[in-house]
Amino acid sequence: MEPVIVTKNLNLYYGHFQALKDVCLSIGERRVTSIIGPSGCGKSTLLRVFNRMNDLVEGAGVTGEVLLDGEDIYRPETDLLRLRKKVGMVFQRPNPFPISVFENIVFGLRIHHLYRRNKEMLHGIAQESLEAVLLWDELKDKLGRLATHLSLEQQQRLCIARLLAVKPEVLLMDEPCSALDPLSTGRIEELMQELKKNYTIVIVTHNMQQAGRVSDETGFMLLGELVEFGPTERIFTAPGDKRTEEYITGRWG
Amino acid sequence: MKRLKEFIVEWAVKASGIVSIVLVALIFFFLLKEGIFLFKTQGAGGFLAGRNWYPISEPPGFGILPLVLGSLLVTFGAALISIPLSVASAVYIAEIAPGWLKEVLKSTIELLAAIPSVVLGFIGMMTVVPWIRSTFHVPTGLTAFAGSVVLAFMAMPTMISIAEDALHSVPRMYKEGAYALGATHWQTIRRVILPAASSGIVAAMMLGIGRVVGETMAVMMVTGNAASMPKGILYPVRTLTATIAAEMGEAVQGSDHYFALFAIGIVLFVMTFMVNMAADLFLHRRRG
Ligand SMILES: Nc1ncnc2c1ncn2[C@@H]1O[C@H](COP(=O)(O)OP(=O)(O)OP(=O)(O)O)[C@@H](O)[C@H]1O
Ligand SMILES: [Mg+2]
Repeated sequence: MEPVIVTKNLNLYYGHFQALKDVCLSIGERRVTSIIGPSGCGKSTLLRVFNRMNDLVEGAGVTGEVLLDGEDIYRPETDLLRLRKKVGMVFQRPNPFPISVFENIVFGLRIHHLYRRNKEMLHGIAQESLEAVLLWDELKDKLGRLATHLSLEQQQRLCIARLLAVKPEVLLMDEPCSALDPLSTGRIEELMQELKKNYTIVIVTHNMQQAGRVSDETGFMLLGELVEFGPTERIFTAPGDKRTEEYITGRWG
Repeated sequence: MKRLKEFIVEWAVKASGIVSIVLVALIFFFLLKEGIFLFKTQGAGGFLAGRNWYPISEPPGFGILPLVLGSLLVTFGAALISIPLSVASAVYIAEIAPGWLKEVLKSTIELLAAIPSVVLGFIGMMTVVPWIRSTFHVPTGLTAFAGSVVLAFMAMPTMISIAEDALHSVPRMYKEGAYALGATHWQTIRRVILPAASSGIVAAMMLGIGRVVGETMAVMMVTGNAASMPKGILYPVRTLTATIAAEMGEAVQGSDHYFALFAIGIVLFVMTFMVNMAADLFLHRRRG
């Protein structure tokens, strides 16, 4: 099976501080890959390499290769806007824009000029995207509502729907459930299983049970290093590295 | 002991609140009492809709329509000039300018806000007025337009700094969300940051306009003071405030002229009140 994302000897520096050290991994298509590790080990940083959000940080520099569908996204001629359309991101705190639900969903279509002034098409895509995150029935009569007035779970679902509207390939999720209660978390996890059929998902999580429940592959990071990467089941039952074992058996915070 | 302190503080706060309300009420009643006499002799219709303001001719004319229109024209022009410029400047400072320039611009604007209005009026008289005269080939540069330009300058520092605050306090996560969807910087500004800051920006604009609605000196110096029906933005006009300031000294106490000036005061009071109410309603509706 062709991997979607491959990194080779990836190093990332924030000024003089090296936040990622020689990371090599490959992420399979239509699978859920989770990145675990203690706070500050570079999980978010790694995730933000894949859609080049680190470019926004002044003084951040990358060496090594990051291939998306076989092409190095850090080549100078990479079209950043297209990259980010292809690789969507969900944040820790749900961040729908303070505009209507409908405008949130079609935001991507508008900025990428994908709709040709066709109202019906916009509506169709909005409905599709909301259905994909199981929000259509709840919100079909409230499309004009201010998105920031929804419940947190609805907001996070909306943020996912807003990505789906532009038909990405990869969904990056940085602790998508950490602002949600256990019930909402469970439902978002179910949603991920559903989305896995069409999208490649990379999720950063603090919650090892969550990694165990949702992911096919797991990577364990420590101090900027990817200590171990492999099938989730193996990582949790028979870790190959002592540090991984110590972490998953709870000897770390 | 503690109870007593609480009691005193509570009452002190209550008392100051009550005093300020009473003061406002007193001012209003004073205005009303002095102004109301005019309506006995003139009638409200003739006063508000009359097209002639000849307070000292015989017979006198006390129609303030030209003055109301003069005020509206000057203020509206000022809003038209200052609002787009302020929003653009605020966006530039908050989003585009590099760090050092940002600081320089912000302190410069604060400095501008400190210029007394007479000085601005004087500068306007020396620069804007001749410029209008030569550019538009009009007999005099002392026009409504000149008043609008000077007022716009007066309103802009307030507008820019409050709008910039509003833009600056848009949470970072909105910006990140937009960038992560592949938005350009400009799309992010237009579609996310501006809407997110909109109520703050509207408040900034209202405050800026509110600051200059009652402005007198500078306007008086550059608008030419012609109390006739304004024929356009490039003609001399007279505002309500300028009329009171210019004529209060010469009006005989107890004369119709004197009462008419107080009646103008009432009109001004009601106008400002309505602008504030509109601003309030708008802001609450946006939040609600
Ligand atoms: N913009 C930045 N500038 C400098 N250093 C940074 C920046 N962002 C993160 N770092 C540093 O890089 C390291 C990795 O940060 P990162 O946010 O990727 O960790 P994380 O694993 O996501 O942590 P958490 O679990 O707390 O979210 C940390 O030591 C952090 O202090
Ligand atoms: Mg993180």
